[in-house]
Amino acid sequence: MESYQYLIDYLKNSPPIIQAVWILSCFFFIIIVILIIYLKYLRGHLRNNEKVVAKYQKEYESYLISYLYAGNEEEEISGEQQTIIEKLKISAADIFKRRIIVSTLLRLRNEISGEMAESIQKLYYQSGLIGYALSRLKSKKWYVVAKGIRELTHFHVKEVHDEIVILVNHPKKEIRKEVQLYLVTLFHFEGLKFLDVLQTHLSEWDQIQLLEVLQHFENQELPNINPWLKSTNDSVVTFALKLAKIYNQFEAKDAIMELLTHQQKIIRVDAIHVLSNLQVVEAKDILKNNFDKLSLEEQIAFFKLLENMYETSDEPFLLAHVTYENFEIKLSALKILKIFNIEKFKSLKEISSEPEFIRIFKFIAHNQL
Amino acid sequence: MNTSTVQIILLIIHLLFFIYAFFAIGSYVILAIISAVETLEYMKKNSFVNYKEILSSTISPSISIIAPAYNESLNIIENVRSLLSSHYVNYDVVIVNDGSKDDSLEKLILAYDLVKVNFLINQQIPTKPIRAGVFKSTNPAFEKLTVVDKENGGKADALNMGLNISNNNYVACIDVDCLLLENALQKMIKPFLEVTEETVIATGGVIRIANSCIIKDGKLLDVNFPEKRIVQAQILEYLRAFLLGRMAWSRLNGLLVISGAFGLFNKKIAIEVGGYDTNTVGEDMEIIVRMRRHMEEQKLKYKVAYIPDPLCWTEAPDNYKIFISQRNRWTRGTIETLRKHRKIAFNSKYKSLGLLSYPYWLFFERLAPVIEVIGIIYFVILMALNEVRWDYTVAFMLLAYLFTVLFSIVAIFSEELTFHQYKKKGTGFKLIMISVLEPLVLHPFILYAAIRGNIDYYFNKKKKWGEMTRKGMAKAEK
Amino acid sequence: MSEAKKIVLAEDNSTLSLLLKFRLEKEGYKLLVAADGKEAIELIEEQDPELILTDIMMPFISGLEVISHVRNKLKKQTPIIVFSAAGQEEMVLKAFNLGANDFMGKPFSPNELVIRVKRLLR
Repeated sequence: MESYQYLIDYLKNSPPIIQAVWILSCFFFIIIVILIIYLKYLRGHLRNNEKVVAKYQKEYESYLISYLYAGNEEEEISGEQQTIIEKLKISAADIFKRRIIVSTLLRLRNEISGEMAESIQKLYYQSGLIGYALSRLKSKKWYVVAKGIRELTHFHVKEVHDEIVILVNHPKKEIRKEVQLYLVTLFHFEGLKFLDVLQTHLSEWDQIQLLEVLQHFENQELPNINPWLKSTNDSVVTFALKLAKIYNQFEAKDAIMELLTHQQKIIRVDAIHVLSNLQVVEAKDILKNNFDKLSLEEQIAFFKLLENMYETSDEPFLLAHVTYENFEIKLSALKILKIFNIEKFKSLKEISSEPEFIRIFKFIAHNQL
Repeated sequence: MNTSTVQIILLIIHLLFFIYAFFAIGSYVILAIISAVETLEYMKKNSFVNYKEILSSTISPSISIIAPAYNESLNIIENVRSLLSSHYVNYDVVIVNDGSKDDSLEKLILAYDLVKVNFLINQQIPTKPIRAGVFKSTNPAFEKLTVVDKENGGKADALNMGLNISNNNYVACIDVDCLLLENALQKMIKPFLEVTEETVIATGGVIRIANSCIIKDGKLLDVNFPEKRIVQAQILEYLRAFLLGRMAWSRLNGLLVISGAFGLFNKKIAIEVGGYDTNTVGEDMEIIVRMRRHMEEQKLKYKVAYIPDPLCWTEAPDNYKIFISQRNRWTRGTIETLRKHRKIAFNSKYKSLGLLSYPYWLFFERLAPVIEVIGIIYFVILMALNEVRWDYTVAFMLLAYLFTVLFSIVAIFSEELTFHQYKKKGTGFKLIMISVLEPLVLHPFILYAAIRGNIDYYFNKKKKWGEMTRKGMAKAEK
Repeated sequence: MSEAKKIVLAEDNSTLSLLLKFRLEKEGYKLLVAADGKEAIELIEEQDPELILTDIMMPFISGLEVISHVRNKLKKQTPIIVFSAAGQEEMVLKAFNLGANDFMGKPFSPNELVIRVKRLLR
């Protein structure tokens, strides 16, 4: 009691700053204690959560499997299936359980094909889960909308195409990305029509994802990519160039050659790579004549093109560039010369005393390329 | 000099300390808040991302993993195996044996069926020459592997050799004993491919501490919280630094350092600035500052990005001697980098790099230990003169201690709510314990190491890297 | 008394395992499910199954190591079917080199799987 009184007196008599410091210290201490208690609770809760999720998962798994095997020839939906549908409807009302149901359905849907997959699809509709996904589209929060679109993509819900396609230029890039994936996953190459109206930049990441989705389809009929090659949206042009390369769109060569004079250097370099892949010989002469005006990256790309499409008429050009300043160009030029005119190549041995040249020459001379 | 002048001087000194402390604490709080916001956003955005497509895509950009190795014979086979088992499709691995005096190369040749090949190197950055040669495997299962044996030149020099050799557009510079998770490359390359208006020049990742974790065949099987206090304290420190610090700097585009243990770079720009500096022990920080400076000077929009997911697990020092040596080196690295680039300090031409990042690093990282020691010396003098106001001292020290503990606990919370790596029962309690103990168990040694670092920098130029004894990761129980 | 033929299934997707278990047990086989490679190897050693179904991508011990263990360590010729996700051609080739008998790319039809199982167990 005495020491307690002593403490109070001490504090009362201290300068205000010390009082403030002690009050702050007490405040911190209390917060620390609260946080520690909450931490214990949180960890326990998280651990518990995992157990609960596992339990529900098992439950819904067995519902799903029972449903899939409870069908019969006569009815559309058997009695047993109807029971399961009703049970799921009730559970789906709770958002926590709903998430688990959806993820359980998806885990299976992604692994199997055929009539089982279609049954899962039907269940998605019958249990009313689709209604919740649709309502998400109207949410004000962007990540809810995006998740909704994603779910609809996973369950192949084609009917909402019109509601989704209007979001293609949405300000939030995560939503745009989900919209694009939706269109392409469900409508394949037809879905690429959004490129006509896309005003925003399509990032490399998005492009790769779209291309991967497209590659998995049976029917690889590409629509006309020329309008996209002429687009004012540079990222659409880049994407179209990728399409041209992967799907060997030789028909588009004229549009691609026009890109050799595009404003963006990256696109010009890309165009050279694609023309090289497509073996477009006309491009070679255009670039050769313009060589000195090209940027270094374009020049290097051009030599890679030459490695693909050299002809004997290119010899003088190659000879002129064997001592070019850039390492990669020297390497390319000497490589090509060795292949089609080994005598000429050998005669170049003494042509330069620059150490880099000598190293490159020696390497090419002594190695099978 | 009469007493009132002395009083005034003392008052000014106190005021300066006070102002410094105020700004330091203020900055920690602000950074913590920004970090929390950024992490939350990151978690939301990433709950969507599908990494599956990019890893199997042949169109995904190709990455070279460059791992310098010096006398790593004990674990090199395992480490290389781990690097070769990443799930990314388009990548290769370049191991640079930096003049090791042990049998690392022989072991590698045996384990991976290596043969010497003729290899033409584009010497874009000068390095020490090749020693035994360039080796590739005859076994198609190891076609991604290239081993280069060169004269010893240090980590920076070895990395530069890797830069010269790589044919890809992106290079991941990694410590060879770092355990890379299977999806690390996909996650790290994402920022490079996602941003549209700016160029990402480098991405850094979080380094997690692997001590006491179960690792078998290059895979992380189980995460355990270590028993040794010194390692526990480092885990706490990393959590604070990464979750409450670096996330904020990433958002502000002010990251000055990417951990040398794991970083992904735009190779073209790294070579353009001349590669790593072999004259510094803080080459990981120095190259970032130089790359940033280069982009500012070229007036190009750029970003240094940061991925908070656990991607890379490595061994932390578990005894004080090695720990001090490591922190000593970090201190010297910071001083060297800041001095080398002092031109950008407070220079508005360098925008946030010169006006925000550099000054922050200067005052609150580089100078903090010095100011703290000055404070201690001052306190000791006051004690000797019997001038100490004990009521102030006790009150303020208690406040400082409680603040530190509070901050640590907030860091623990961030970890629980985000990546929740330490799931086992009892770890929560251990984490709280170490939050309470860390200011006593670790901080004094950090301070000591930093002062040694300062002394060594100014008076002992010959010191370089110091030893790190390899203990080997904990093996899985059978 | 003819005993049901035993099949060990190594698959980390529990929903898929359950489905396949149901389906194959309907056909009269006995299914033993393992959630990862390590469990799979233990089951195989204990139970000596007539057929092994394994996913390639599993945590800790991959399907490839399971195949390698069965063919090289246990020296058994038990028929093995592997499942693989798309884009894993390299892994599938490795699986065949190690001694797998058949593979099914995901997504696959469970009916098709049953046909192939029957064929290998004839």
